[in-house]
Amino acid sequence: MTSTENIAQGIILLGAILLIVTYLTWLERKFAARLQSRIGPYWVGRPHGWLQPIADALKLLIKEDITPSKSDRFLFNLAPVWVVVTSLLGFAFLPLTASWVLVNIDLGLLYFSAIGSLIVIGIFIAGWASNNKYALISALRAAAQVVAYEVPLLLSLLVPAVFAGSLDFQDIIRAQDGHWFILFPVVGQISFLTFLLAALAEGNRIPFDLSEAESELVAGFNVEYSGMKFAYFYLAEYVHLLAASLLVSILFLGGPLGPFFSGGVWVAIKTLLVFLGVLWIRWSFLRVRIDQLMMLNWKVLTPLTLVNLLLAGLWVSLNG
Amino acid sequence: MEERVIEREFGEFALNMGPQHPSTHGVFRLELHLRGETVVKVIPHIGYLHRGVEKLSETLDYDILPPVYERDDYLSPTANSLAFVLAVEKLAGIEVPKRASYLRVLVAELQRVTSHLVWLGTFGLDLGGALGGGSTLFLYCFREREKILDLLEALTGTRFHTNMNQIGGVRYDVYASFDGDLSQTIGYLKKRISEYKDMLENNPVFLKRTKGVGVVRPELAKEVGASGPVLRGSGVAYDIRKNKPYSDYTEFEFRIPVGRNGDAYDRYRVRLEEMFESLSIIHQVMEGLPEGPIHSRKPVKIALLLKPPKGEAYAAVESPRGELGVFIVSDGSSKPYRVKVRSPSFSNIALIPYILPGHLIADAVAILGSLDPVFGDVDR
Amino acid sequence: MAQKVSNARLVKVTLLALWFTLKNLFRKPVTVQYPIVKRPIPERWRGGTFALTTDKETEEENCIGCKLCEKICPSGVIAVEMEKHGGRGWAKSFILDLQGCLQCELCVQVCPTDAIVMLYGMEAPVTRREDLILDKEKLMANEGLYQAAWATGLKLQNLHEPKK
Repeated sequence: MTSTENIAQGIILLGAILLIVTYLTWLERKFAARLQSRIGPYWVGRPHGWLQPIADALKLLIKEDITPSKSDRFLFNLAPVWVVVTSLLGFAFLPLTASWVLVNIDLGLLYFSAIGSLIVIGIFIAGWASNNKYALISALRAAAQVVAYEVPLLLSLLVPAVFAGSLDFQDIIRAQDGHWFILFPVVGQISFLTFLLAALAEGNRIPFDLSEAESELVAGFNVEYSGMKFAYFYLAEYVHLLAASLLVSILFLGGPLGPFFSGGVWVAIKTLLVFLGVLWIRWSFLRVRIDQLMMLNWKVLTPLTLVNLLLAGLWVSLNG
Repeated sequence: MEERVIEREFGEFALNMGPQHPSTHGVFRLELHLRGETVVKVIPHIGYLHRGVEKLSETLDYDILPPVYERDDYLSPTANSLAFVLAVEKLAGIEVPKRASYLRVLVAELQRVTSHLVWLGTFGLDLGGALGGGSTLFLYCFREREKILDLLEALTGTRFHTNMNQIGGVRYDVYASFDGDLSQTIGYLKKRISEYKDMLENNPVFLKRTKGVGVVRPELAKEVGASGPVLRGSGVAYDIRKNKPYSDYTEFEFRIPVGRNGDAYDRYRVRLEEMFESLSIIHQVMEGLPEGPIHSRKPVKIALLLKPPKGEAYAAVESPRGELGVFIVSDGSSKPYRVKVRSPSFSNIALIPYILPGHLIADAVAILGSLDPVFGDVDR
Repeated sequence: MAQKVSNARLVKVTLLALWFTLKNLFRKPVTVQYPIVKRPIPERWRGGTFALTTDKETEEENCIGCKLCEKICPSGVIAVEMEKHGGRGWAKSFILDLQGCLQCELCVQVCPTDAIVMLYGMEAPVTRREDLILDKEKLMANEGLYQAAWATGLKLQNLHEPKK
């Protein structure tokens, strides 16, 4: 692959992701509306409101862009860019079909998780640079939360890697041929669930969206952002969520493996199902408190994932 | 004006919550002093919604005032006008026909259910945020509330500010098919509210967020003059409907639910049980609705103003938030000399400085929500 | 905190909460798509604009300018001037400022001649504030524009009379 080809593919991938994410917001709004006995977007692009995301994007584009006078201008403007770039970077290493991946390296999983946790720096910058007390509290919460949940996240990510004996996504997919990792008795399911919980916490989703917490901190770190800068945070949240759903479908649900359809279709279906599951959780639960969140992490998830990883290692070495 | 310096110790962080904040249930400012995320001191500031109803009353005639009082507490308008009307009737010695009393109870109890449903929904928002499960609960509650509002609209012409109470009686009688509509709505509500009860009381996140949070000791509650579900949540069985009955409440059978620990969960339980009790009272009203007139005064005279004798009178009703009292001094003219409204929310939020310290910010929001203040009622 | 929840129970109630929202996913949305679908207006509905009626037979206006509505209005949005000729009173001018109206229907209730009524028309938004101040001509014209609401002065007053 030449580098020009690579760049062209990258740009196409970027465009595709942004388009998909835009429509994921539409999907979420429709899904949430139905869950709440509403109709949801309707008028823009009648009768299903399918032009709503475009209208939203346009609205955000033409809104006034405000930088608070007492904020740190440079950092304030850096944060949205940082958040979007780091959340998009992860896609470079995720295989979207059985054979196609933008950057094929044999440490894909490691690289992905390293990049995935960079997003919190952007959130912290935003909270600090806004010079707002709500934003500051939110930034501190986000930092504490993400640093804590990184541990169970990685530990549960390692289980598929241990099963496959590799950190390469291609190897992990190949190892699931005929036997998805989620179907491994106990170990697979626990690792799937803990990963899902940790990913929810990492992606600031209800019931763990403490850094956003509208009812306490108004909107947390993005309280001072408006217009397109706010849209960047919004975008990053969904890109992050999409990446997490994609990762789940690859690591636990066999990724592109499946009958009848080609790999890309299976990845899309599985990712969408995981995404809907996350939405379902989001619109069904209340928010936990910060101390309860930390308690859950250090007292339940971390020991559980550690034991789980140990079991996985034992299983592999005994069968292996 | 000199800027007020907030007293600060090392490591203390002052956070202004409100007056524009999604969880202050109106315009209310809490000056929170935090250490980490823990509240160490709190100073509430009220008065942003002061509309001067008491002073306004001195310039308007008695007959004109009931619709004005409905604007006071914007979640249970009828309770406000009922308290005012009862006080005037006591002052002027007007007898109310029995049918009118029953209809007053009917509308007041229907509005108690709507008020508690709004409370449950917004409590969900406080705990769960507008972009999550909280709003789901909120919209479910509003969906059920809509049924009652439709009923009230059919009965009185407006969904909310019913303007039902008048000095001497009520304005509207029930229409022919009202009985059927009502029993259908009651059945629907009972089913749905028990559904929410099952869901919330089994929900681990809900239990963790409310149990042991914002404990109000009964002594403290009495000391600040709290009333309504806040007082009953602390285990004091005080309800004006039982203790100082008005408007023929003695003729209905109902229980006063009380809590044990006085935490946010108990207050939630009390309100939820009250909804069922209210529905049962409504059922009894319809069963035993007596025939007869709905007004005891000559209708044409309504514009030819009531002039109560010199004197003073106090009447209290159990509004969804607690004891709502109206005290009127009359100088014999057609306008009150002075009116004082004893509003339940005002006394209830006096608990805030006592119970908030020691809790986290998230709990502060939950506690404020569990007290169910309505700032139209606090500031009047 | 105070209550210890066992793990099996935790899983069960979590699934219960999810099941609860799923059940609602298949319930019919309650939203009414307003301009396309309209809620039925109940008979007793009040909330529209006002009209001054005319007598059907003599085509004379009913208002006798008695100022009762002006006196009873809680927010004082009605102003009537009276003149007398031909053996009865007339409203020389009648101004109703809808901006401050509480829709309490007291003016309708006290009217001795059924002159002022509310209307069912709920779709009468205006773009200028001046249009909300209704003078006598507008109020008279309104009668033909919308259907008159249920309540009239006599009807409401009759409700208060003891049942025979």
